[in-house]
Amino acid sequence: MRSRTAVESLLPLPLPVFHMLLSLSDGERHGYALKREILQRTQGKLNLGSGALYGSINKMLEQGLIEESEERPDPHLDDERRRYYRITSLGRKVAQAEALRLRDLVNLAEIRLGLSEPA
Amino acid sequence: MKNARFDSVGLYRLLLKLYPARFREEYQGPMERQFRDEYRDASTTGERTRLWTTALLDVVRQAPVQLISEVRQDLRYTVRVYRKRSMRGALAIVALALAIGGSTGVFGVVNAVLIRSLPFADPENLVEISGSPVAPTNGRPAFIAWRDASPYLRSAAVYSTSEMNLGRERGALRVKVSETSANLFEVLGAKPLLGRAFSSEEDSPGRTGVGVIGYGLWQQAFGGDRGVIGAKILVNGVPIEVIGVAPQRFDYPGGTALWVPTVFDFERIPKRGAFFFHTLGRLSIPPALAGHLFEAEVARVNPAASKEEIENRPRLIPLRERLAGPVRSAIWVLGGLVVFVLLAACANVAQLLLSRASERREEFAMRAALGASRARLIQQLVTEAIALTGCSAAIGLVVAHQVCKMASLIVPATLASQEYTILDWRVLLFAVGLTTAAGIFFGVAPVLARWVTAEDALRAHTATSGRDTLRLRWALLALQCGLTLTLAAGSLAMGRSFLRLLDVDLGFTPASAVTMNVSLQGTKRDGKAARSYYAEALQRLRAVPGVEAAGAVGYLPLVSQVQMAGSLKLDSGQVMNAIVMNGASPDYFRAIGTPFVAGSDFRSGDPNPAVIVNEAFARMTGLDERIVGRRLTAPWTSNQYEIVGVVRTARFAGPSHPGGPMAYWSIEEEAPPTLTLVARVRASGEASIAMCRDAVRSVDIGVPIYDVKTLERRLSDTLARPRFYAEATFLLGLIAVVIAVAGIYGSAARSVAQRRREMGIRMAIGATNRQVRSLVLREVLIPAAAGAGAGIVGALAGGRYIRSLIANAEPITLEVCTAAAVVLLSIAFAAAWRATTHVSSIHPAEVIRVD
Repeated sequence: MRSRTAVESLLPLPLPVFHMLLSLSDGERHGYALKREILQRTQGKLNLGSGALYGSINKMLEQGLIEESEERPDPHLDDERRRYYRITSLGRKVAQAEALRLRDLVNLAEIRLGLSEPA
Repeated sequence: MKNARFDSVGLYRLLLKLYPARFREEYQGPMERQFRDEYRDASTTGERTRLWTTALLDVVRQAPVQLISEVRQDLRYTVRVYRKRSMRGALAIVALALAIGGSTGVFGVVNAVLIRSLPFADPENLVEISGSPVAPTNGRPAFIAWRDASPYLRSAAVYSTSEMNLGRERGALRVKVSETSANLFEVLGAKPLLGRAFSSEEDSPGRTGVGVIGYGLWQQAFGGDRGVIGAKILVNGVPIEVIGVAPQRFDYPGGTALWVPTVFDFERIPKRGAFFFHTLGRLSIPPALAGHLFEAEVARVNPAASKEEIENRPRLIPLRERLAGPVRSAIWVLGGLVVFVLLAACANVAQLLLSRASERREEFAMRAALGASRARLIQQLVTEAIALTGCSAAIGLVVAHQVCKMASLIVPATLASQEYTILDWRVLLFAVGLTTAAGIFFGVAPVLARWVTAEDALRAHTATSGRDTLRLRWALLALQCGLTLTLAAGSLAMGRSFLRLLDVDLGFTPASAVTMNVSLQGTKRDGKAARSYYAEALQRLRAVPGVEAAGAVGYLPLVSQVQMAGSLKLDSGQVMNAIVMNGASPDYFRAIGTPFVAGSDFRSGDPNPAVIVNEAFARMTGLDERIVGRRLTAPWTSNQYEIVGVVRTARFAGPSHPGGPMAYWSIEEEAPPTLTLVARVRASGEASIAMCRDAVRSVDIGVPIYDVKTLERRLSDTLARPRFYAEATFLLGLIAVVIAVAGIYGSAARSVAQRRREMGIRMAIGATNRQVRSLVLREVLIPAAAGAGAGIVGALAGGRYIRSLIANAEPITLEVCTAAAVVLLSIAFAAAWRATTHVSSIHPAEVIRVD
């Protein structure tokens, strides 16, 4: 019960946060990888500056949506060690709740705007 | 290419400095790395420009967001830290708030009186010409010729102010009227709000029937009606046409409500009394040079005047200095005292933060060891300090507001535009600047001065913590006690002189007396009808229930107005100079409560000319009470007056000035146009005011009755200024004592808290509880006593300075200083004793075991 209110108090999620949680639900990522993935997914529309990126990461860490895993080199980039993040169970719940919220909204839009396909 | 990239990254690193410390500490590495990657991926100039643009926009948008979030966290941390030490934090905040409030408030007053610009064009060039070589009595052409020929004046105006009766349909008003030359507004650079100012010919005799009314009078008497231009008003019975309305807040000279161009046509508006002419000049050359030319002119025209005492010698007085007037020196003294309080509070806060810094040295070293950067810790300290002083400043502004309110009640500003306010940007800037500087200085400097590394921290636990910080704290404690003693001695001396004022026998009884002024000038009752008017007014006053006696007098004690003095000749041929002549009705002395020392009162309807003198007069003749029955001759008449009584000397100018010799004529013989009626009542004066006023008003509604006040109220008005000074110094002294007590208590308590271990060891090797306690007491009380000693020297020196600024200030004697020192040190001892009670709870075994 308590965790549900904790989840709900975080909704709606800012768009960059939702995108980052989506990316991390697929596995651990470092900051730059997150940025590139989101850029790709949104066809270049959501380009996070590094301040916005790490500001969001900082906030998500504080809120317990993500946590740091250990530092290790990115196999695709170079030898330099990078800090990786992973999603927490709370983060996963929050992302799910946000997705459900969006689905309800889209359902409503389909009915109201006549987008639903004939049954 | 490689160089260019590294330069770009270096530049970006500089940009990252805009982020707050903790964020930077956490993410500077990844952000830099990311920028490098992106820079590498961007191959064209266009792409790089875009990259830089996004990076810049990103910083501009995100840095404030992060800063706010971190400051919020730091504040939460600060609240947590101070909640644990709430008493000490609260004491420091209150001490600083009082100091900031006091200083800002006094600065508000100083600012209004001395600094804020006057509401005139180029006020720096305006001077009052004291002892002007040409007066209006020389005639208009002479004045204009002098003014136009003057090598140092661009222009000059002349005026005289007095109170006059303003006739209206219902009731009459008594207002301050300035009779001026036509160009007063032009010289000041002021334009009327409505209508016009005087034309240059309107001060020629015969053309002077016009007037400009003040904004307040326009609102009060005409309801702000714009159709007032062209209206006729009666001034002392003389019709005047209103041609203009002065702008709001323009009431020069001091509170004028009506300006008329009659200064060269002085007989046009009838009035009686003594009048002073003031000349206002606008300089055409720099003031210093003008001063020399003026002196040369005076030496040529009036050689006697230039040899007068310096204060009586004619001179050019800058208008600003003229308007700052008698409060000026007192304000400097108060300002100085406030600086003392501020210094004492600062020493207190410095002491607190310094010991906090040494207490938290371990915490900080530990955090540094765990990777917190110096910038991060300084950011925390700055936030803490600003929060502390910010709280103090907020409370301080409320205090300041009260100080300004109090000051304007007690010492009102001369001009409407000099109104005291703290909502002046300079005052706000002063408060904010002071606060921030204090906060940052005391919060950060002690830590920076004794920055510790992680290794130090590990050693710190075993080292005796900071002997030299301790010494600095002692010095601060001594400074605080010294300043406090000076202030306490000052306020004791001021308080004593004020109490002495209250104790003085005034020569009359202020309690249960109602007084009011009536003026017949310009009314139907002026002249021959005056006597019957006064008789009827007194009769109706006596008929008011509760009135025991009623009388009338020309000059009432405690009212500052011009008094007529002259020479009198006794029947023995002895000539008495500078005797103030007053008029009184029968029963006046009973009404005001002045006892007869010898002889008796005037008898109503007595055909023999009689006079009553006061004790000072009787003593001056050397006859004392034997003077009753002797005869006097006044220079203006051949009549001989019999001295029928001797009354106690009344202190006319208030308790701080002894009354001079005075002779009272019976007003039944000659009734002056303006008198003060006095009623002695059985109940309190305040309760009887309305009935007494209505009784007198019912005689003739066309006669203005004004300044209706109890005699007690007049006394308290007279005492307002000394009371303000006494209360202000008392308040400042009290604040200083509170701050000092807080400092001493805190110092002793901290000493005990920080040295538990040392004390435990001392006790383990045989020291008694008492010995350990006296060790701490000595450490606190020796600096306090040393400071107090220095304070005595300061107080004795400062007292002399104050005496040179405020007349009648009591000297600060060694006796007063000793009293202050005894009070301060006993309180200090009590505070330190209270703070060291915890010593008895130290158990050596426990303390040592913890280690």
